[in-house]
Amino acid sequence: MIHPSAAAATQAAAAPGLLSGPALAGPALAGPALAGPALAGAAPALGLAGLAGLPVHGVSLEHPDTVAAEHWLASLSPAPVLACTHLVRSPRPHVALSLVFADTAPELGAESPDALTKLGAESPEAVAEHVARRSGRAVRYPGVDLLVGTLRVADVLALSAIEQVEVLGGGEADPQALVDTGDFVRPQWRAGRLTLTTTPAVGGRLVPFETRNPTPCCAAH
Amino acid sequence: MGHGHHHHDHDHSSGAAVDVPPALDLSVPDGELSPSDVSRRGFLRSAGLLGAGAAASVLATPSAAAAAGLPHSHGPAGGGTAKGGFRWLAGDHHIHTQHSSDGQYRVIDQAGHGRAFGLDWVVITDHGSNAHAKIGVDKVNPDILTTREELPDLLTFQGLEWNIPAAEHATVFVHPGRNEVAVLKQFEQTFDGSQLPATNTEAQNEALAIAGIKFLGEQVKRRKVDGALFLANHPARRGIDSPHEIRNWRDADPTVAIGMEGAPGHQAAGIPAPNGRGGARGLYDNNPSAASYSGYPLETYRTWGGFDWMTATVGGLWDSLLSEGQAWWVTVNSDSHVNYLDQSERGPGSDFEANGRYNDPVYTGKVNTTAGDFWPGFYGRTNVGATSFSYKAVMDGLRAGRVWVDHGRLIKNLDARVRVAGDRRAATGTPLGGVLHVKRGTATELTLEIDLQNVPNWAQFIPVLSRVDVIVGSVTGPVSARDTFTAPNTKVVKSYEVSPGTRTLSVTYQLGRLDKPFYLRLRGTDGKRTQPGLMGAAVDPAGPKLDVIGDADPWADLWFYTNPIWVLPK
Repeated sequence: MIHPSAAAATQAAAAPGLLSGPALAGPALAGPALAGPALAGAAPALGLAGLAGLPVHGVSLEHPDTVAAEHWLASLSPAPVLACTHLVRSPRPHVALSLVFADTAPELGAESPDALTKLGAESPEAVAEHVARRSGRAVRYPGVDLLVGTLRVADVLALSAIEQVEVLGGGEADPQALVDTGDFVRPQWRAGRLTLTTTPAVGGRLVPFETRNPTPCCAAH
Repeated sequence: MGHGHHHHDHDHSSGAAVDVPPALDLSVPDGELSPSDVSRRGFLRSAGLLGAGAAASVLATPSAAAAAGLPHSHGPAGGGTAKGGFRWLAGDHHIHTQHSSDGQYRVIDQAGHGRAFGLDWVVITDHGSNAHAKIGVDKVNPDILTTREELPDLLTFQGLEWNIPAAEHATVFVHPGRNEVAVLKQFEQTFDGSQLPATNTEAQNEALAIAGIKFLGEQVKRRKVDGALFLANHPARRGIDSPHEIRNWRDADPTVAIGMEGAPGHQAAGIPAPNGRGGARGLYDNNPSAASYSGYPLETYRTWGGFDWMTATVGGLWDSLLSEGQAWWVTVNSDSHVNYLDQSERGPGSDFEANGRYNDPVYTGKVNTTAGDFWPGFYGRTNVGATSFSYKAVMDGLRAGRVWVDHGRLIKNLDARVRVAGDRRAATGTPLGGVLHVKRGTATELTLEIDLQNVPNWAQFIPVLSRVDVIVGSVTGPVSARDTFTAPNTKVVKSYEVSPGTRTLSVTYQLGRLDKPFYLRLRGTDGKRTQPGLMGAAVDPAGPKLDVIGDADPWADLWFYTNPIWVLPK
């Protein structure tokens, strides 16, 4: 399932001058991930605008959870510039993905000449949610590799394609508030905007709503 | 309502099979109703309270209450006589032992601490699993029988923590008796999520959950056991208990499926490191999965003042059930697996899969600061208004919803009743969980008496109640959309500030002349952490606050909640 990306030019390029904050020593971005227009400076502010018009692939390999889906995602070469997980409850709960590549979809192996077959079953639902920006959880997105360590909310907005940062049950986050990213930032599409929801955490910091290692269902705790 | 206190010769069949009063029984044509029933039906119809589902709600009382085995739970005298007519028994229905793959304690370790910390009843609820279904469910029973002998002042139920097919966990327990193990074992082997094919669809699993609850009701009906109850545990933790599943469980058999945890256990998990685990209070740190109900907002997945979002949100999921007229109660438990500051660990050399249990725990001499649980009774209590000290009375009180819950012993005693205005006879008043039927236009009032705490809790301080909120919602009848989880007509209507030094809070709140059917429930707090409710400040100006990850001192944020009382037109 392919559909023109709705990654329209809603995100104005934020000023790159906000980077006096702490711990911006993120790894240099790999080339293919930077589909957006290259900006001057070491830390370009990246929007989704550069992805507009690129096709959106929807795939389902019936991954049981986002961990499995992300593991598979990491094996793709070249990596997508925008990749979202989508939760599907029936007929059996599983995770589908929507993928946007900077150029063409990756060479998808010898066993199948058909790219989408190799990618897995098509998931028109994932594409529809992505295109409408209704739901979906972004794993790969412009700037994700810069979101490491502790950052100001304003830095998160300037460095990445994330369009808004909210505090759970509390509205917009203060731009000066500090976010302990845990090097794991998974914003979600909500009402048309790529939104990072955070919660208050120890030390007056914010943390992303989703943690890398949530408590398992029947943990030996 | 002229119903008196005679005993109904009821059966325990569910749903539509309940003995429906003529006014609610749409198979009885209008022409065959008595004039008063015609009038009642007309009122209910105009209020939107007639139709599918109404029969399984309080709207069908007294029959639904009778079917639930509650001859005293309705009418002007409500669930009993005076405050002294009930014995409030504190308990915990969610406790693990060495028969859980993530547990470690003996039954008597847990029961003994629970008793010492002031509990009157406990339910042993080890996880459903292969090892438990085949071995543990049998092996735990002699330990429970021994505990009953050793601790005669404690009622120790055998239950299990059911992996509800397609959903979260639930406490399932039965009345003691010669079939208690057989019934639980057959139930677990047939209906536990761990015993089902992974290829099942969501729809198949949801159907099995319903069948499991009906199976329990059947065992009671056939007199295999004298009672069986189901309560959904940590319902919002992973967002996988959808609103329609909760409604389906209840409708499957409202005499069995009676409620959910209003607050999860693991209340020590947010104590800051290095003195504590530094995690999320209640271990509520999950995010939506593919099994989650997609309509739930992210707020669902966290605790608010230590309570589950379904209960903590005024005008939220719980209120949506109550405003339907669904009898659905909330409880508070420890979910104890491994306890904060304990000095023991799992027995060495254990083979859980082969033995169905871990070896007995051993003393280590080290203090466990990373455990997230409290001993049963140490922090949370489910207080049940019982007519005697007995297993049956606890189950009946739970089924009747004569229940209030608190954390950290925030208050000492509570007596809330709805009365016909001005009627102060000691033997009247509808208690928690009850339904008061009055003629339209009759004035009613809430009388509330709270004995404030005057003895220290288990953190060695005397909690101070700061505020009590009266929450009222219209009863609008069954919803057509089974995934509804809001109640737009429910809000805080009155708040009472408690003056320092007060010993007893006694208030009367006028509920006005009955126009539309409604319910009320109560909530109180130490006032230390509040924020406007998720439905807005106009609904709940100072509700529970989102708990902070890694910094949630459970003793510095205490709340109590009561179950509701309904007022319906005759």
